[in-house]
Amino acid sequence: MPDPQANAVEIRNMHKYYGAFHALKNIELTVKSGERIVICGPSGSGKSTMIRCINRLEEHQAGTITVLGTELTDDVHNIDEIRREVGMVFQHFNLFPHMTVLENCTLAPMLVRKASQREAEAEAMGFLEKVKIPDQALKYPGQLSGGQQQRVAIARALCMRPEIMLFDEPTSALDPEMIAEVLDVMVNLAQEGMTMLCVTHEMGFARSVADRVIFMDQGEIVEEGPPGAFFDNPQNERTKLFLSQILGH
Amino acid sequence: MTDIAAAPPSTVGTASHWLKKHAFSSLPASIATVLFFALLLYIAYLVFDWAVIGAVWSAENADQCPTAHGACWSVIDARYRLILFGLYPYDLHWRSTLACVAIVLTVILSCIPLFWSLKRLALLWVVGFGAYYLLMEGGPIGLQEVTTDQWGGLSLTLFLFSSVVLIGMPMGLGLALARRSKLPAISYGVSILIDFIRSLPLLTTLFTAAVVVPILLPDWLHGDKIWRVIIAFALFFACYQAEVFRGGFQAIPRGQFEAGQALGLHFWQILGRIVLPQVFRHSLPGTINMVVVTFKETAIVIIIGFFEILASANAAFGTGEWAPYYIEVYVFVGLIYWIFIFSLSQYGEYLKRRMSVAKR
Repeated sequence: MPDPQANAVEIRNMHKYYGAFHALKNIELTVKSGERIVICGPSGSGKSTMIRCINRLEEHQAGTITVLGTELTDDVHNIDEIRREVGMVFQHFNLFPHMTVLENCTLAPMLVRKASQREAEAEAMGFLEKVKIPDQALKYPGQLSGGQQQRVAIARALCMRPEIMLFDEPTSALDPEMIAEVLDVMVNLAQEGMTMLCVTHEMGFARSVADRVIFMDQGEIVEEGPPGAFFDNPQNERTKLFLSQILGH
Repeated sequence: MTDIAAAPPSTVGTASHWLKKHAFSSLPASIATVLFFALLLYIAYLVFDWAVIGAVWSAENADQCPTAHGACWSVIDARYRLILFGLYPYDLHWRSTLACVAIVLTVILSCIPLFWSLKRLALLWVVGFGAYYLLMEGGPIGLQEVTTDQWGGLSLTLFLFSSVVLIGMPMGLGLALARRSKLPAISYGVSILIDFIRSLPLLTTLFTAAVVVPILLPDWLHGDKIWRVIIAFALFFACYQAEVFRGGFQAIPRGQFEAGQALGLHFWQILGRIVLPQVFRHSLPGTINMVVVTFKETAIVIIIGFFEILASANAAFGTGEWAPYYIEVYVFVGLIYWIFIFSLSQYGEYLKRRMSVAKR
C-alpha cells in the first residue's frame, strides 16, 4: 500500500541508456505529495523519457526511483502497484478507438480495481462531467475533436483514482484553438491538489500553476526553481537561450 | 416567390441525362452502345433458351435429352443425391443432411455478434461439430457406423472447410503472436516454419499428410486420414492467416499498448481487450479473402482420394447414360459454390461496415 508520509516521487542518481546512448544522466528529483511540477526543455532533452520512467514505460539502468514509498524494480508486483497509483496522459491521446468514450473510461477500473460495471460507469460519468463532456460518453473517439479526445484521456486516467498524474506534452498535438480547453481542465485538477508532473511548452500554464519548473537539456536537469525566479531570472546559459527561443516571439 | 437558386437541382430525368452523357454523347458512341446492348441481349437470350426454354427438366423425360436443344436437367434430378452425398450409404442420406444442417447452423450462429464470447463460441463449436461427427460416423450413438472414407459430397466439403478455418484461425493467431515474441528462438523458429510452409504448394502439404506421414510414423500415431489432411490444411491456412494478422498487428500504434500499461492492465488483458479487437478489424479484408479461397481450395482433396462435392459431381456424369451432360452438372455444382461463397463475402461486407461504424 502507498505510504501517505512518503514523497510522491523520489528519483536518486538515475541513469538511462538506449544501447550506447546515455539518455538520462544522474537524475535527482523529489516531488512532494500535492506538488505541481512543469518540465521543459528542447526536444530530445530526455524530459518525456524521465516521466515515462516513473511508471515503467521505460526502464532505468542505474539509480533508484521510488513512487509513494514503493521502489520501482523488476518486481512485477511493485510495477503493478505503482501503475495503479500513477495516471498518464499522452501527447497523442492513445484512446482505444474501438471502444466508446465511456468504455474507454470503465475498462481499467473494471479489470484492475474489479469495480462493477455500474460503479465504474457512474464514476466515469462523474469524471466526464468534470472534463465537461458527459454528453459525448456514447461516442467513439474518432468522432471527437482533438481537444475533446485529450479531455477524455484525462478522465480515463482519473477513473483509476491515481495519486499522481503524469502529462507527456498533452497539448502538443492539438490545434491552437483547442489548447485552452485542455489547459483549463489541468488547472482545475491542479487546484484540487493533484500531484502533477507535466512535460509541456505552455509557459503560461507553468507560470500560473507550477510550484516548480524544471529545465532539462541533453539528458540532465540543468536548472530548477519556482516559476517566478525561473522565468524572470534564469541562472544557466542554456536555460536563458531556451527561454529566449520559446518566449522570444 | 420561391428562391430558385436556393433549391437543389432537380433529380427528375437524372437517368436519361446520365444516358445522354455517357452512352449517347455522339453518333459513334450511340452506335457502340446499341451494338453492345444488342450483343448482350442476344447472349442473354441464348443462355435463357438453353437453360429454360429448350431444357428437359425431370428424370422421367430423360429420353428426350438427346434430341432437345437445351439443357438436360434430368441429370441433376436423377443424380443430385450422389452429388450432395457422395459415397455415403443411400439409406442414411438423412444423417448426412442433418449433419450439413448442423455445420451450416454452427457457422451461421458463429457469425452473429451475440455469440462472440469465448465461452459461447467454444460451446457452440463443441455442440455443432460433435453433432456433425456423431451423425456422420454414427457408431458412438448406436447408429450404423459409416467410416470416413465413405463420407462425401457437400457435407464433406462443408466439414473440411469449417474444420480447416476453425482450427487454422487460432493457429494463425498463435503463429502471428509467436512471430512477434521477444525470444529470438521462438520468433525465428516460427518465421522459418511460416516461410517454409508458404513456399510449398498446398497439394504437396496435403499429399505429405495423407501419404508420407503414414510411411514415416508408427501406426499408433497415424490417426484417421481425414484428420491428418485437416490438420495439414489448417497448418497451411494458419501460415497464410498469420501473415494477414501480422499486417493487422503492424497497424496498431505502440501508444495503444502503452496506454494499457499506464492504466495498470496486464499483458494478456491489453492483448485481449485492446490490441486483438483492433488487429481483427484491420485484418478483416485479408481474412475474408483467405476464408473464401479456402472454401474453393477444399476441392483439391480429390487428388488424395476424398470424395468431396466436385469429385462426386464427376461421378454423377461418369456413367455412359449421363456422360454428355457434364455441363449441367458443373453448372449445378458451380451454383452451390456460388451460394456459399457469395454469402460468405456478403457477410464480410456486413462485418466491414459494422467495424467501421465502431471506429468513427
